Amino acid sequence: MTTLIVIDQPPYGSWAGRDALDMTFSLAAFDQPAAMLFLGAGVNWLCKGQAADAVGQKSVAKNLSAAALFGVEQILVDAQACAQYGLEFDDLLPGSTPSESISETLSQFSRVVFAG
Amino acid sequence: MPENTTATLHIINKAPEHARFRHCLASAQQGDTLLLIEDAVLALLDRGKQLPGASYGLEADANARAVANRVPADQLVDYAGFVQLTVNHSRIINW
Amino acid sequence: MPQPLSYTLVITGAPWATQAPQTALSFAQALLKAGHRIDRVFLYGDGVHLASALSAPPSDEQHWPRLWSEFLSGNNITAVACIASALRRGIVDKTEQARYELTASNLRAPFEIAGLGEWVEGNLKSNRVLYFHGTH
Repeated sequence: MTTLIVIDQPPYGSWAGRDALDMTFSLAAFDQPAAMLFLGAGVNWLCKGQAADAVGQKSVAKNLSAAALFGVEQILVDAQACAQYGLEFDDLLPGSTPSESISETLSQFSRVVFAG
Repeated sequence: MPENTTATLHIINKAPEHARFRHCLASAQQGDTLLLIEDAVLALLDRGKQLPGASYGLEADANARAVANRVPADQLVDYAGFVQLTVNHSRIINW
Repeated sequence: MPQPLSYTLVITGAPWATQAPQTALSFAQALLKAGHRIDRVFLYGDGVHLASALSAPPSDEQHWPRLWSEFLSGNNITAVACIASALRRGIVDKTEQARYELTASNLRAPFEIAGLGEWVEGNLKSNRVLYFHGTH
């Protein structure tokens, strides 16, 4: 019964992504199966080289890179959106899996959740 | 063909122009139901939107936005109907 | 009637900024009327503003925090505001007021402050988990 948490907002402009990350890591902390999907503009959360401190925020790159260690089963990323934002696989933090079809990806999870 | 054959209830409250609306429509499979609440009821009038066969608008939100009289009555549900849709679907995505 | 179901309702949209509290309340009332059960209401993100005891809307507007607290108390439903969301937004109970040496507390009864564990539990135990979001 894996829960898929979806992030479709870019980082830093809103807190939706952070709230989604907190939900994901809470599931993992309670030993509940969790995965993440970065959708649309949300793929930019996975971009290497973010300097969050430039806008007075904390970077989540370390959390995302260590997600598997925390028990997050998969980090999926919208391949079409990556192409749209000019992101090659090497531009992304390690450990993500491309999703070629969002519809197909969603159908694999019994629960799909947005944080906001 | 996806493995999961459980019918899904998609509930969306975003206006048709919102980016998430597109993803919601793209994810609706055969046999799924779409419930449009709040600003999403406007999609019932949006000629540019192809909605899945089983699409319903929440009556109160359609009334608020003065669109209820431009939508077939059997496409509107009240809050009791909203409840029943959630009872009937074990898989629900709130977009 | 068929087996009643149990629900966890998550509200992430703030009152007067989104319709989330209104849609959720109308739904919740219809849910109880249909004979189902609400295990808990969980406020997350901007939804925590629904738990403020200090809202003072104009008298001709719906008082969402009050309406919700009356509904929750009247039906004995557990209601939680997520601590991480609440503290950031200045929704605090007496414990947090003391911990952070703040000048006041403002949590509206019967809401309590708790962590995401409450949401995880809802995910595990309730038949249905519904989310009432804003529109950003």
